[in-house]
Amino acid sequence: MTTAQELKDKKQTYYDDVAVGHQFPPLIIGPMTPTHLFRWSAAIENWHRIHYDQSFAIYHEGLPNILAQGSWKQSILPRYLKDICLPDGWPWKVTFQHRAMIVPGDTLTVWATVTKKYEEEGLGFIDCDVGIRLQYDTETCPGKATIVLPIRNGKAIPYPFVPPKKLAS
Amino acid sequence: MSQAPATGESALTPAVKAVIGASATKIEASLPWGIEREGLRIFTQAIMDPDPRYWDDEFAKTTKFGGIVTPPIYCTYLGRRTRPGSEDPVTRAFAENPNSDGIGGVRDADEGPGSLPKVPTHLKRILNAGNEIEVRQYPKLGDRVFSQAKYSDIKERVGKDGSRMLIVTTENIYTNQNGEVLCILRASTIRR
Repeated sequence: MTTAQELKDKKQTYYDDVAVGHQFPPLIIGPMTPTHLFRWSAAIENWHRIHYDQSFAIYHEGLPNILAQGSWKQSILPRYLKDICLPDGWPWKVTFQHRAMIVPGDTLTVWATVTKKYEEEGLGFIDCDVGIRLQYDTETCPGKATIVLPIRNGKAIPYPFVPPKKLAS
Repeated sequence: MSQAPATGESALTPAVKAVIGASATKIEASLPWGIEREGLRIFTQAIMDPDPRYWDDEFAKTTKFGGIVTPPIYCTYLGRRTRPGSEDPVTRAFAENPNSDGIGGVRDADEGPGSLPKVPTHLKRILNAGNEIEVRQYPKLGDRVFSQAKYSDIKERVGKDGSRMLIVTTENIYTNQNGEVLCILRASTIRR
């Protein structure tokens, strides 16, 4: 896990520093416990019992255990991309699908690998494959992301971020 | 397995096509007091993100954001919270059904302000087909967050067994009190 001090002191990764195939440092989370899952349910008021009531999950729903929430996974990927971009890059866009279940005992590796880099309107765009991998290598949240990293001696990334017209959805 | 020919009538009926582009009422997703520290602390600890940009005023002032901000898609979770003064949804759910799954009676996605009209289809099974999140700006302490949903696209697909299904994409745009876009969440579901 990353510490507050590490995030405070993080040095900028520049567009110039990465090439296709570059693997950003992974974020390791876990082992997950029922308490982690319950904390998320309480934080966002998601009362679905399959996430914190083990008897209900197993005996009523036929699941192997309580399950980590899709909404939690959905928040972890942008958080990881944000960390990669700190302090002055921008975690612009991420798409993903929910695949394998995450249950207590699982340890997660959040990862990103560069698949393409290109400049548009003077900004450095990096496309990545991303995901959250379980300890036995099963991918639970495969997706794609586009982040923006500063170009050395280039212009600042605007904030609020406005995508170039050519790339806007 | 080879592709079987499509069976039955098209699922993309004129009635279904008519809801493409339909928008829900814009609603306030945040509670009346806007973005506040305690909600932010609880959320960031639940995603295990100790970033001082969420809690250290002095440091946050030195960043490009100029003060405390929220995690990238924090605003998309605000609308889930029970508003003060409203009926307790948990008590109601279990009063109606002692075996409630905790969510069926707690929240019905098809009812209430800000909800989209139902897609008029006989296809009842709903599966998650993937999400896209686009982040433009982080809310700051005190900001109020609004959301508006619309059906941005509905397409028909034919399964390998020839059955017809719909891919329904909902776009939810989150804005602040100045109308600036914070985040766009596009969620696709399969109806089959």
